[in-house]
Amino acid sequence: MSFTLKYKDLNDKREIPKENYTIKDLLDELELSAQTIVSKQNGELVIEDTVIDDGDEIQLVQIIYGG
Amino acid sequence: MKCSKCGNPKVIIKRAQSGQLLCKDCFIESIEKKVIKTVKKEKLLDKGDKVLVALSGGKDSVTTLEILNSFREMNVIDLCAVTVDEGIANYRQDGVDIAIRHAERLGIEHKVVKLKEEYGITLDEIMQKENHKGSCTYCGVFRRTIINKVAREMNATKIATGHNLDDEVQAIMMNYLEGNTDNLTKLGAKSESKAEEFTVKIKPLREIPEREIGVYVVAKELEVHFDSCPYAMQSFRGEVSEVINQLAEKHPTIKYSTLRGYDKIKGILKEELKKDYAHGRCEKCGEPSANRLCKACSFLEEFGM
Repeated sequence: MSFTLKYKDLNDKREIPKENYTIKDLLDELELSAQTIVSKQNGELVIEDTVIDDGDEIQLVQIIYGG
Repeated sequence: MKCSKCGNPKVIIKRAQSGQLLCKDCFIESIEKKVIKTVKKEKLLDKGDKVLVALSGGKDSVTTLEILNSFREMNVIDLCAVTVDEGIANYRQDGVDIAIRHAERLGIEHKVVKLKEEYGITLDEIMQKENHKGSCTYCGVFRRTIINKVAREMNATKIATGHNLDDEVQAIMMNYLEGNTDNLTKLGAKSESKAEEFTVKIKPLREIPEREIGVYVVAKELEVHFDSCPYAMQSFRGEVSEVINQLAEKHPTIKYSTLRGYDKIKGILKEELKKDYAHGRCEKCGEPSANRLCKACSFLEEFGM
């Protein structure tokens, strides 16, 4: 069970570590704030409570940089 | 989970401040309606206005342009834009290019002004000077002066900036914490300068949280410059922003309540603390100034220019 993570220059295949693994769990793992990021699942905007499924492409877009 | 408005299961945002869940279409509509509401409530536009958008190419200014364009399409106002190139290597050019493309897309008059050509120095060069006062001090003063000049050149009746809810709340708290009561009287949706040379400034996005503007541009697939100014971390604003965002995690309505509270006391502050400024001219450049030299020219003098 794996998904593809796209974030800035990153394009990584990652394992889904547990059942009901959400985008929020992923953001916590990457130490990113949900306040500064929007998430896309297979090209569509989704909220952070969304569960990541096998084969998903998850793209994280940083929308707040400060300044 | 379903959209609180239309029941669509494809929810793109959960608003912590209200618990509302929204799908893409309802979210876009809610942002545009809210901005239009602010424009009407604060009387930001008059029919026949020519509005100059301060267009950096970032999410806030692109959203301002996009939503004000709906007033242009209804023949309520005319639009034009200005982009200031401060001269920040590996940062500014992308935003300038994006601004140019948006102006072309909408077919509006657009001017790009380089700090180097206007004042003979870039922000990068200023930051090499010893004892400089911090990037934002210079950037803010030079940018404001240029935008005001261009507004007169283009015969604009209003200048629209992309200040959002977070920017406004940061400004309220910064000025309060620094005891800067003079600046505290000047915030708000619309500037009210007595000097005719200063075009009225409006902030249509003042009640939209910064994150929601980011979600809006991604949802609408608008091209914007998402990047960090290399000098941003040196600012007091950054520190204040961090504290407010920490508070907002447990108290999601705190930005709105800070803004509402300020709006309630603003009238009293202005009444109690109003100052009459001398309306003179800078003896070097002729721009309006309360002192012998305007702020921009006094900085240039400090640089020996």
